[in-house]
Amino acid sequence: MLLDFDRLGGLKWVLVGIGILVSAFLLLPILFTVALSFGSSQWLLFPPPGWTLRWYEELWADPRWITSTLTSLQCAVLVTLLATGLGLLASFGLVRGRFAGRETVRALFLMPMIMPVIVVAVALYAFFLRIGLGGTLIGFVLAHTVIALPLAITSISNALERFDKAIEDAAILCGASPWEARLRVTIPAIRDGLFGAAVFSFLTSWDEVVIAIFMASPTLQTLPVHIWGTLRQDLTPVVAAASSLLLLFTLAVMLLAAWFRRRST
Amino acid sequence: MTPFLDIQNIKKTYGATVAVQDVTLGIGRGEFVTFLGPSGSGKSTTLYVIAGFLDPTEGDVRIQGQSILSVPSHKRNIGMVFQRYTLFPHLTVAENVAFPLRVRRRPNDEIERKVAEMVRLARLETVRDRLPSQLSGGQQQRVALARALVYDPPVLLMDEPLSALDKKLREEIQYEIRRIHQETGVTILYVTHDQEEALRLSDRIAVFSQGRIDQIGTSAELYQNPATRFVAGFVGNSDFLSCRIDRVEGHSARIVLPDGACVSGVRSHGTVRAGSEGTLMLRPERVRIRNAASNTTPSENGAAGLSVTIRDITFLGDNTHFAVETDWKQPMAIRVPFGRAGAEGLAVGDRARVDWVAEDAHVFAESANG
Amino acid sequence: MSSISIPNRRNAAARPPPVPSSGVSFVLPALLLILAVFILPVVMLLLRSVTEPDPGLQNYRELFESATVARVFVNTFVVSGLVTAIALLIGFPIAWLLVILPKRWADLLFGIVILSMWTNLLARTYAWMVLLQRTGIINKTLMGLGLIDTPLPLVNNLVGVTIGMTYIMLPFIVLPLVTTMRAIEPDLLRAAALCGAGRWEAFRRVLLPLSLPGIAAGGLLTFVMSLGYFVTPSLLGGAGNMMAAELIAQLVQSLLNWGLGGATAFALLVLTLALYAVQLRLLQRGRSQRGG
Repeated sequence: MLLDFDRLGGLKWVLVGIGILVSAFLLLPILFTVALSFGSSQWLLFPPPGWTLRWYEELWADPRWITSTLTSLQCAVLVTLLATGLGLLASFGLVRGRFAGRETVRALFLMPMIMPVIVVAVALYAFFLRIGLGGTLIGFVLAHTVIALPLAITSISNALERFDKAIEDAAILCGASPWEARLRVTIPAIRDGLFGAAVFSFLTSWDEVVIAIFMASPTLQTLPVHIWGTLRQDLTPVVAAASSLLLLFTLAVMLLAAWFRRRST
Repeated sequence: MTPFLDIQNIKKTYGATVAVQDVTLGIGRGEFVTFLGPSGSGKSTTLYVIAGFLDPTEGDVRIQGQSILSVPSHKRNIGMVFQRYTLFPHLTVAENVAFPLRVRRRPNDEIERKVAEMVRLARLETVRDRLPSQLSGGQQQRVALARALVYDPPVLLMDEPLSALDKKLREEIQYEIRRIHQETGVTILYVTHDQEEALRLSDRIAVFSQGRIDQIGTSAELYQNPATRFVAGFVGNSDFLSCRIDRVEGHSARIVLPDGACVSGVRSHGTVRAGSEGTLMLRPERVRIRNAASNTTPSENGAAGLSVTIRDITFLGDNTHFAVETDWKQPMAIRVPFGRAGAEGLAVGDRARVDWVAEDAHVFAESANG
Repeated sequence: MSSISIPNRRNAAARPPPVPSSGVSFVLPALLLILAVFILPVVMLLLRSVTEPDPGLQNYRELFESATVARVFVNTFVVSGLVTAIALLIGFPIAWLLVILPKRWADLLFGIVILSMWTNLLARTYAWMVLLQRTGIINKTLMGLGLIDTPLPLVNNLVGVTIGMTYIMLPFIVLPLVTTMRAIEPDLLRAAALCGAGRWEAFRRVLLPLSLPGIAAGGLLTFVMSLGYFVTPSLLGGAGNMMAAELIAQLVQSLLNWGLGGATAFALLVLTLALYAVQLRLLQRGRSQRGG
């Protein structure tokens, strides 16, 4: 029947065919970029006339690539810490607390996620120019934290909802202070949610382009901003090399997340 | 005469595991046949083969002499009621019942007429415009029944249709199923693991065990004359005692119990061979119990017996349940109907005598713990 | 993103009523950040649309009267609609496969979808810039096969934008659809078959209607995200056919016309929120239908 793979008859092969085509559509651009990053053609000919590591050497030799990567890392780590920390506190308040307007606050926290990024970017651009945070690391971190918070809060809140507070109360009855109980019992129990929040926050900042383009100054750029600037000038294979390295990094994060999930279950 | 629905030598394997084998069964038109067995015994697999959800590895299924295996499910014209109602959640009760007629492109006035008829038959008049989520479990199952019958299929399959309902509702729907069977004359193949349900509903029961049919027969046949130890254990309550088979003559055997007592005239089933180990089976209500001191004659008018110790007595109203233990420490259950003489004054810890009429005892070749 | 649900109160409801107004202090730091670095700047931007260059609604008049703005919004709607439609057409069979494939193959396909989603946005857009250019592999293959004589203009126009954005949006269609389709009981389709429904009838009358909530959720999410998309249209699109986000960027960055920029941003914001409200309404209706 339609939801039994083995009883689909001819339709089964139509679906499998579409699956293979779409997998190719999803994978080929990525694989193609990796291939080009090792190709010797300046004009991105494919198949490449020869193979080279030249573009990786150029990447390594250009200090702007290195400094923008470091800026991105620095920014993403700070955003991860800030968003996860604030998200943890806010989740406690939202899940455990009772106060007027709690639902409004909850909706407010989710707003940055559904707002078109371009509106946030333009608004923050004007605002930071006015208060003198434009082109500063603090500006980057604050802006990215705002858009990372909805994901962090959702991830932690969901974990906290699933956690039975009676266990925390039991720890307090055993003699732990409320803070000690939260630290030793609750936080370890919701560590999957915290880990998810951290990964989402990191990737949000690391991949963010639009706000960063508006925020950047010639002296302070994140990696996406530098790629963007390079792409607007020409289609150099150096970007293929950078893309391949970013892909490697994504794969590493995915594997790490998969490994972490397997270990915790 | 060829049966109406003929299941011939069905075998279904998944790699090395055999789900069903040698299932052969002929079903007459209008008959109500139940597949009874524990989960994993192959009863649902057989039903799925008939429905066309699975292809058998070997064998054939014929309706009125025509093989249906090459016919896709939607052209088999078979009705089915599933374990969980499986009503279309986006359609109302009436639309659910109309579904089979709509996909058959029947004219609207016919659809309206048939749906009205089925809604009345299944007593759904008051809920016909509701969505399935607004119905109780029993109502949902009645809608499923109406949907499965609206196109007059000659065969109706039911796959544990009552297992999601509570006991009271179950009995109510059992009655409905029987009524609808009588009114429509549809041939029903019913799958369940509940022996009481099977005994109550069916004309005939096929007992499934480990992918095979152990026995096919009416409720009375299965109860009074079980073909295997498994059937004896699955249909009705039984006491099993290990024994050694001493002599076999036709369908009568003489056995020796572990305490050395000899019982002759026991009915033997299957390949019972003299000199081998066997299992003695007794029905708890066919065993008498009385005070060991009151009567020392071991047997009268062909009765056999043994000495036991009473471990527990439970008064259950119309009968009393005795849990006893033989001298070789095997437990037995005995049910004494209210008013039967002999068991008065018995107390926990007492020694007692149990006996039975020889022909009420059955012996099987399989071992007691097998 | 649509898989994120608003946490419910189930756990908390069972406990004795706590002190009124507990927990505010926990929420405060994040709340202050959102108010200062999100709400305030957005409100200030919107205010500029009615104060610059002069107080009044002239920016909104211009927004509605300008042919340029109208064309930009038409472009935006056409591309967003196309992207949503194509992504749904491709995404539906993929979600279907993910639900019914044997686990090993389903895991592999899921991994491919997730990998493409997590790969850096610019890296993916760059790949399409290279693939679609005049001398790119797609034009070369088509010419090599003799299908075309001259390279097709696939980039610097809305064709390129549509292809690139479909690629990026596909996972956002697939994930909600998988959630919806996984909840459909296979027995329902078996029942439909025994009732006499062939593949097409079972699809049309059962599978498709039951997948509709996922189609609506994924489709709306994709459409709304497409409306405000900036990066891919800027890199793959041409100067002559802008989309709304590019127009806003150009107005404030190049033309320094903050009034009209703010007004355009406001229009985009209202559109987005309205569509989310529609989605929320649909979700609630679906839930009340199922909950009964």
